[in-house]
Amino acid sequence: MVIMAEKFDNLEEHLEKFIENIRQLGIIVSDFQPSSQTGLNQKLNFMISGLQDIEKCRQQLHEINVPLEVFEYIDQGRNPQLYTKECLERALARNEQVKGKIDTMTKFKSLLISELSKVFPEDMAKYKAIHGEDAPS
Amino acid sequence: MTEMFSTLFGQNDAQGPPGSSLGFGPGKPPPPLPQNQVSLTGQMPPQHGDEGPPLRKPGAMNEPFYLLRELPVGTELTGNTNLITHYNLEHAYNKFCGKKVKEKLSNFLPELPGMIDCPGTQDGSSLRSLIDKTPVCGNSFSPLTGALLTGFRLHTGPLPEQYRLMHIQPPKKKSKHKHKHHRTQDPLPQETPSDSDPKKKKKKRDDDPDRKKKKKDKKKKKNRHSPDHPGLAGSQPNSNSLR
Repeated sequence: MVIMAEKFDNLEEHLEKFIENIRQLGIIVSDFQPSSQTGLNQKLNFMISGLQDIEKCRQQLHEINVPLEVFEYIDQGRNPQLYTKECLERALARNEQVKGKIDTMTKFKSLLISELSKVFPEDMAKYKAIHGEDAPS
Repeated sequence: MTEMFSTLFGQNDAQGPPGSSLGFGPGKPPPPLPQNQVSLTGQMPPQHGDEGPPLRKPGAMNEPFYLLRELPVGTELTGNTNLITHYNLEHAYNKFCGKKVKEKLSNFLPELPGMIDCPGTQDGSSLRSLIDKTPVCGNSFSPLTGALLTGFRLHTGPLPEQYRLMHIQPPKKKSKHKHKHHRTQDPLPQETPSDSDPKKKKKKRDDDPDRKKKKKDKKKKKNRHSPDHPGLAGSQPNSNSLR
């Protein structure tokens, strides 16, 4: 887990450097002076080395799976943490629904066995002999 | 659930008296069946090719329940357990669902320059387009040599306005901060009734050191004018430094 975090930190660092370099490049270009040519050339090559570094990070992170839905959030200018939030909320809601169903079915089973025992005592005695007395809770 | 019950007990409801939703009216058991009559499970036709857990040992053991199955194993992980707790995700749940997550992408990436909150489809910067139109990236990145760099010789002077705006955009954080700063310089807009959100108002007041200064200054002025506290203004050693 720690190693994974390091890999992400590494990528993040490279991306930040790359973005900052691009930003500075933009500033140089926006009001270009003849003396800026050397700096511009440096920035251009730094951009290429930045891309190389990011490319290297790709090899370390090939096993990472990103849900495609996150891209939709980012493309819409929304916080991707909202996706995580909604996933967790959805998971909990479904979890509660399923638990509700299971609880209801358990109660139903219990009631069914108890009532069947009244109506078919002999059959239910055989049933309990096979399944044990665990059924009615 | 009710649908399930109604399908399960549909026949009973039709035959039995209304009011007993589950078909088992208390104290109203039907007369017991004679021993020679086909028993409960015997009424059900056998289902061949049914995919499910294997039947119990066939033969005399399960009689008269020839459709009896193994009960599901209780240790199986189901929705009966809290799966968020089971996978140790309470921390993540509390983090993301406990408090309000800010809506905009710039709140998640505050350091990123540019207008990142705009939809990516507008300027063709969407991540989705990377999947739909995968860029050709077979070549490796190689540094630009002297000859190649000649292509990047630029003309002197500023860029036309419309292009310049694309590059130089004040980071959002700073612009927000400036905005706050302007507000605090003029205290009137904060006190207008249009500022309806009391929570925001409070937070701003708490966060703003300038506002505190002004408050203190006001207090000082009051104290100076009030005859009840003649010495209080002088008792604040740092009062001059605030100005």
